[in-house]
Amino acid sequence: MSRIALLLLSSTLLAQPPEPPLAKPIANYDITAVLDAKTHTVTGHETVTWLNDSLDSVSSLQFHLYMNAFRNSRSTFFKESGGQLRGDQFKGDDWGWIRVNSMRLEGSADLTSAIRFIAPDDGNAEDRTVIEVPLPQSVRPGQSIRLTIDFTTRLPMIFARTGFHGDFHLVGQWFPKLGVWETAGFRYSTRGAWNCHQFHANSEFFANFGDYKVELTVPSRFVVGATGEQVRRVDSTSNQTSTYTFQQRSVTDFAWTTQPGFLRVERLFAADKETSFDDISAAARLHGISSDDARLSDVKMIALVQPEHREHIDRHFNGLRAALKWFGLYYGRYPYKSITVVDPPYGAGGAGGMEYPTFITAGTMYHLPPDALTLEMVTVHEFGHQFWMELVASNEFEESWLDEGFNTYSTGKIMDNVFGPSSLPIQVFDMNLWSLLKLPRITQESMDRAGHVSSPRRDDLVRRAWEYYDSSSYSLNSYMRTGVTLRTLEGLLGTPTMDRVMRAYHQRWRFRHPTSRDFQAVVNEVSGRNMDWFFDEFVFGNRALDYAVASVTCVRQRTPMGLFDKDSALSMVSRKDAEARDKKLDKDKSFKPDYLSTVKIARLGDAAAPVEIEIRFTDGHLERRQWDGAYRWAKFTFQRKAEVESVLIDPARKLQLDVSYANNSWKKKFNAPLSAHWGANVLFWLQNLLLTLTSIA
Amino acid sequence: MHAATALSSAFRRTAARKRMVVLYWFTHTLCAAVAALPLLGLAIPQTAHSLYGDEMLRHFDLMYLAELVNAARDSAVGVGVMPGMLSILLAMLASVFLAGGAVKLLVRDDARYSPGEFWEGCGRYFWRFLRLALYSLFFYAIAFAVSGAINKAAVKLWGEGMVEAPLVHATWARQALLLLLLGFVSTAMDFAKVRLVADDSRRSLRACFGSVRLALRHIATVLPVWLGLGLVLALATWLYVAVANRVEAVSMGPILGLFLLQQFYVAARVWLRMMSWGAAAALDPVLRPPAPEPKPEPEPVVEAPPETPEPGPAAQEDFSI
Ligand SMILES: [Zn+2]
Repeated sequence: MSRIALLLLSSTLLAQPPEPPLAKPIANYDITAVLDAKTHTVTGHETVTWLNDSLDSVSSLQFHLYMNAFRNSRSTFFKESGGQLRGDQFKGDDWGWIRVNSMRLEGSADLTSAIRFIAPDDGNAEDRTVIEVPLPQSVRPGQSIRLTIDFTTRLPMIFARTGFHGDFHLVGQWFPKLGVWETAGFRYSTRGAWNCHQFHANSEFFANFGDYKVELTVPSRFVVGATGEQVRRVDSTSNQTSTYTFQQRSVTDFAWTTQPGFLRVERLFAADKETSFDDISAAARLHGISSDDARLSDVKMIALVQPEHREHIDRHFNGLRAALKWFGLYYGRYPYKSITVVDPPYGAGGAGGMEYPTFITAGTMYHLPPDALTLEMVTVHEFGHQFWMELVASNEFEESWLDEGFNTYSTGKIMDNVFGPSSLPIQVFDMNLWSLLKLPRITQESMDRAGHVSSPRRDDLVRRAWEYYDSSSYSLNSYMRTGVTLRTLEGLLGTPTMDRVMRAYHQRWRFRHPTSRDFQAVVNEVSGRNMDWFFDEFVFGNRALDYAVASVTCVRQRTPMGLFDKDSALSMVSRKDAEARDKKLDKDKSFKPDYLSTVKIARLGDAAAPVEIEIRFTDGHLERRQWDGAYRWAKFTFQRKAEVESVLIDPARKLQLDVSYANNSWKKKFNAPLSAHWGANVLFWLQNLLLTLTSIA
Repeated sequence: MHAATALSSAFRRTAARKRMVVLYWFTHTLCAAVAALPLLGLAIPQTAHSLYGDEMLRHFDLMYLAELVNAARDSAVGVGVMPGMLSILLAMLASVFLAGGAVKLLVRDDARYSPGEFWEGCGRYFWRFLRLALYSLFFYAIAFAVSGAINKAAVKLWGEGMVEAPLVHATWARQALLLLLLGFVSTAMDFAKVRLVADDSRRSLRACFGSVRLALRHIATVLPVWLGLGLVLALATWLYVAVANRVEAVSMGPILGLFLLQQFYVAARVWLRMMSWGAAAALDPVLRPPAPEPKPEPEPVVEAPPETPEPGPAAQEDFSI
């Protein structure tokens, strides 16, 4: 026997009865793949079982062949991205591709020759990321079919998401993968059709749930990490390869990584240690569920870290622990048994910050300062996609706000609550100038709002990912502006209600495929309020919200003069008498005159939202008013023995979408210290800049 | 002469003419104000009557910068770019101008200061120093080119690799070398100014190249001077940051204190600038003893139009070596 098989892990595991799936399996994949690490080529054999879970008869299949996005510069992905994404550029000639060598319907015909490329999104005939295969016979409702596919995938050099760099391989979007059959009534569909988008610069995820079993063969010195749990490893001494078997039920995708140099660290998220009794009972109380339902489960955390980032191992796990805990408490326990975080090496940053089921890539840098929390943030964010994208499997192509944006909102909450505000790394030698100069730390919340405030409103919040004005408009709306929009919704509904909304939406749509309208329905239902106006203005539209204090006047009331009814007779107060009385009163220090104060609030934007206004008087008295913002301005008048000291619109900062906080308030007293402080600082920094520049003169 | 002796002589020469320090500081402040005022003119009306301003006095909110960007989107050129460029241009010209007077007085190892002589020096050496500043760009460009070449080499060596550490270490080394090179060129140009004044020469190009040669030949003396001044600057910066980080500038008293501290720091930088000229002035006669025959010999180094006699100190000079 030339091949000595070594069963390292658990025939026992395989012998156990399989756990029931968490989601109805629609598309199941059984794949064997062999990596040639020298040519960065994967040779694969795939058995895919598809269940027609609709009432339609389906006469063809559509598959993603996403690695073809990297086939040449004419693919839709390359045209949209211009060969660069998130700061990484494609260089050299290491293109990537996938070829279907054969496709066969089990027990029936060879379909290979019937395969044709289609481009449903943009008609780009040179894009080869989607294929259609007519079937010899339609698949009837409720019927399953099984296909076997032989394929070869050549990985591109990494500049976006997937590929190789040196001996590091991040293998995502690598096998022929079915689109989603959408029957009438499913999401926005009015008739049965495949939803199988091309690979775009800004979107790539939408798939049915299914069970995956994948056997990966790599050179034995390579360390492997993948979606799901490793159930077996078989080493072959003859050709020095190892075959790893990974299994995961109820997921929408499978990705893996391999590199000889990985430090593999495994730790346990022990749910009962990570969450306190108070944490669990607070969640149970808020959501009206039992403590058992609120409780989290243990999760195996695996980190695959670059040796030069050894010092950051704990930071990776801290990010995972915070995410497992708080996503679990907010939206429901993480249902899988493992989570793997991958730290790509230097030069493979394009593979960092990605999300696949139970498998994420984070990323750090050499000597990242401890107070620059990008590592934690990216880890929490990518983990967050397990909840927004994977478990609640919305369509990232068509409604990216539902995953990137919801995740931005959730990540921001967790980062700000658990880790606090962050510095930015401005490294000179090994010092972070940001911390050295004690520049203000930044919360995720303020980062999002800064993006929203400083960027033009070129698009509605929701659009198909490749149809935004440009890629910055895509990311602004899909990430930051959604974060601010959801925080504004939270402000309007109140945090407890918003928390209930988000959990209800998550739980209702877990293992399903919701749309924006489904979220809207949950908002209305759980809050008991009709919030359609909010969605019309800020989600399906993108109106500007800007309230401002327009003017404040306080007029001292003088003695009335003229003709007045007195004891059924006409009495006259002469100008002279009135002025004399006023003069006398002016001298009387103990007299408190009446003031007629008028406060005008303006709506400068085209969006209206109910808002609260606080008017404080010099005697400490506080008046509160509500305004619906319907007309362009509103006037509030008060007659009191005190003048207005300050006016504050939206005191609780519920309306984070408001593009200016500066004009939301007015106070009588000029803030001299602020002006002096800013004046001194601006002058000082400019003086230093000039002194530095003129040192050449 | 030791670097320490040169530095102490420089200190004496500067201390004897504090008015020059004040003048140089004042000019820079004026130029900074050209850029500062439009910015403040936008920000102060937005915030000085706003409760948001109260908040930001305690804790500056970086989000507010986004509001400023939003407010200035259509007027960015008028508020930021134009005043900024004008400010830099004015500061450059003013500092070349003032350097003439300052170096003229610093070259003399006595305590004399007379406004008349100072301003005469400003006018007299302005064009020479301006040309010198332009020529010096060549050497500054070399410094940046060296740094760029190191960067390119590092990227070529390690850029395609899988570890970042060598690149980062190379960056640290490159930053340090760049600082040294910039310091070296700046010091050489101080010597050039001194040479132009001491010899009452108009040959800016010659002074420029000659001083680089001189500084290179006497690097063991020149570099410690620059390092000494750099160390004092680093110390002053550290002190400023340490104190400024502790000031709770929320009321007029501490803000005034902070302002004074800031201006003291700026004045210290100006002082150090004067000292670097003073040190060059002290070292120049030692490193460059007067030749027995002052007759300049023709140097066919660079092709240039021949020198022509010039009517007055303030008149336009030729491009001459
Ligand atoms: Zn994301």
